[in-house]
Order: sequence, then C-alpha cells, then structure tokens
Amino acid sequence: MDVEKIINDINSLEPVSQVENKVMEIISEPDSSINEIVNIIKYDQAMTANLLRICNSALFGLTKEIVSIKQAVAYLGIDKVASLVMMGKHGKNFKKDHSGYDLEDGALWRYSVSSALIAQDLAEKRQLENVAMLFTSAILKDIGKVVLNTYMQDAFNQVKAKVQNESLTFIEAEKAVLGIDHAELGAMVAETWNFNQATVDIIKHHHNPDQASKDDLALPIIYLADSICMMIGIGVGADGLAYRYHQDIVDRLNFSDIDLQLTIAEFWEKLKNIEELVQLSGGN
Amino acid sequence: MNIIVGVGDMKVSNNPEAVLATYSLGSCIGIAIYDPVAKVGGLLHYMLPESSLDAVKAKKNPYMFGDSGIPLLFKSSYKLGAKKNRMKVMVLGGAQILDQNGLFNIGKRNHTIVRKMFWKNNVMLDYEAVGGTVNRTIKLSVDSGEAWLKVSGESAKQISWM
Repeated sequence: MDVEKIINDINSLEPVSQVENKVMEIISEPDSSINEIVNIIKYDQAMTANLLRICNSALFGLTKEIVSIKQAVAYLGIDKVASLVMMGKHGKNFKKDHSGYDLEDGALWRYSVSSALIAQDLAEKRQLENVAMLFTSAILKDIGKVVLNTYMQDAFNQVKAKVQNESLTFIEAEKAVLGIDHAELGAMVAETWNFNQATVDIIKHHHNPDQASKDDLALPIIYLADSICMMIGIGVGADGLAYRYHQDIVDRLNFSDIDLQLTIAEFWEKLKNIEELVQLSGGN
Repeated sequence: MNIIVGVGDMKVSNNPEAVLATYSLGSCIGIAIYDPVAKVGGLLHYMLPESSLDAVKAKKNPYMFGDSGIPLLFKSSYKLGAKKNRMKVMVLGGAQILDQNGLFNIGKRNHTIVRKMFWKNNVMLDYEAVGGTVNRTIKLSVDSGEAWLKVSGESAKQISWM
C-alpha cells in the first residue's frame, strides 16, 4: 500500500478554521483566560448559534435559556463551553458513512461524542485540569479512520484475517496491511492542523496508553473511556473490541470496578440526551 | 416493522409483522426468546450483571441489569401467552477487549449471570454466540421465529435454532 498516498488524503478532510485553531491554542494553555475565548467565539455567528443550541439541549438540564456566550460560560464553566465549541465544529468530518469500518451514517460521530463525554466524566471525577483539551482530543482520536476508510474498504478482509489468524489487535493488523494505522494517521492530521503536542500524542497513543509518562493521567483516562465505549457498543464498527486492555494503566487511575460500572449506568441515564447532542453538534 | 430494543431495554411482541432488533452488542448481553406455538418473541439487551450495583437505578430501569432484566423478559412473554416449556432461547454478546482479565471484565460477568440464572431455573439454550472481540446485532421475526445474526465486519447470517 502506498502510504504517501494515504497521508496525502489528509487534505481531503474539511480543514479547521482559524477560529477553531485559536480556541484550540487557548485550551491547550493551562491558565487560559475566559474572556479570550468569549471574544473569539462571539464574532463567529454560526459558531455562537450552534453553541447556544447545544448548551440549551436537555443533556445539561439548565432551567434557564442561555442566550449569550458569557452566560454559557457562567453556567457551564469555560472548560465545558470550549469543549462544546470544538465538538460543534468537528462533526462535519465524522458524520458521514464509513463503510470501510462497517459504520453507518453518523456512527463514528456517535462513538466520538460518547467516548469524549465518558472521558470528561472520568476526568472530572479525578479533578484533572485542562478538561477541554482532553475532551477535544477524545473527540478527534479516530479522525484517522475517516481518512483510512476508503482504503479499508478493500483491505478489510486481509485485516480481519490477521486479527483472527495471527492474534493481532485491529490496529496492529491495520498497520501490517496498510502500512499505517488510524492512530498514527490521526496524529498526522492533528499536526497538519497545527494542534498542540499533547493532543497529537494522545491521538497517536490512544490504543497504546503505556506510552504515557507515569504522571500523565490524560491519556489513561481517554484510553479507559474508549474501552468503556467499546464495551457498551455505542457506534462500534468492524474493529469491534479487538484492542488490547492495559490493566496496569487503568490501575493508575484508581477507579474501582464499582466506580466503572456506575460510570456505565450513569452513561445509560444520559443516553437519550446524548443522542440529541449527537444530532445537534457538528452541524456547521 | 422493526421494533428496536435499545441498550438497557426489553421488548416482547406477538405482532406477526414485527421484527425485534437490537444493535451492537459489545460486552452487553442480548437474550432472544421465542414460543413457536403462541408466536410470541422477546428480546432483552442488558449492560451490567447485577442490580445490587445501584438499587435506585435498577428500580427505574430493571433492563439495565441481567439479574433484574432476565425474569422480566420471561414474565412479559408469558403475559402474551408464551409457555416456558416451548420456549426457544438464545444468548449473544458478552464480548471482551483482549487481555481483559480483571474484575472489570463486564462481558464475562454478564455471561456468568445469565448462565447461573438459567441453570437455577432449568432453562436450556438453543443457540449461543458469546465472547470474542466482536460486536453483534440480532434480529428476530415474531411471525416465524427466524433470526439473523450480524457480526461486525461480516454480513448477516440466519441462525438455525428452531
């Protein structure tokens, strides 16, 4: 397989706008100023309208209607608002059908939003900082699949045979057959878009969390959220659960088995509202 | 007419035009039952093994858990005229991520709970497709009892279980 050609296809993605890039830059700084983000978003009318629609969706259960970005920040906090801005923007690349991965229309987006919300929930439980950066990385971690989709249509049987006969994980088989895997390619997308190094690294290693330094909890959280999402089966495609579970990495997060089961139960309770969010987001 | 059984949900039907369907079972378990005489079908899709995890949530939605959802699946089908001794039973799902050996192996625990309950209540299985790393989707025709299993990345195949 011609890896250069695959990499070149990164250009077929809808590019990120300057506004998204600016917001991304701010959220990757640990002490970003609220006003800075508000000032950037408020000049983008489509982004503002979309953000307000999302903020007023049932998932957040706000009793009062949010009519301005300032208000959204006051009610939801800067981290959530920044997360929602990024979510509102990225759906356009994910919301297609990705039949190479046996994913119907919107399934990959549903998966991305669900695993990002679980990651956000786990990050808040562990009181991590920079949740917006973590959330955005979780949303984007499978962007490589969007690019690989066309190639996977032809390569799938070979990839499947490697998973079944050689006990490879799906991502190892992807790399063996196509010469590049969706995580590696996704990291290149994030680099092309000039995203921060932390996001690039998370996307690159989201199936190999043992690459995280001992004190980094962001990658383990995103990895665990991804695993939970696979187990629940929301928007899961041809790769199924054919990835490796790293118990030692999950142990670093100090969640008990009960904590994790409760995370699944809590996710179920929000499922209907999440579906609304999936539909509302990524519209522009 | 497709009747979709969502995650953490259960449906029974005696409508001959209905096809019960549940999508994308990962570590969750799907149980399909069918009485060919009464022509009653049922489908449950539970996420977690035991309702003792959270009694309030279990009361609100018993179908989220195996131990509270399974009895209700059978009882609801009896209300439509199904009989236990004629029932065809199938269990699907319970997949695991590779090397997932610890306590948080929900796929295995979801499977264990249904095996225990069926053993205790003398329920014999007519078909089982459990474990592995695949995602499964199941459809059941209420009129004929014909069932189709779709494994992720493959096309749907009819199951012989009658």
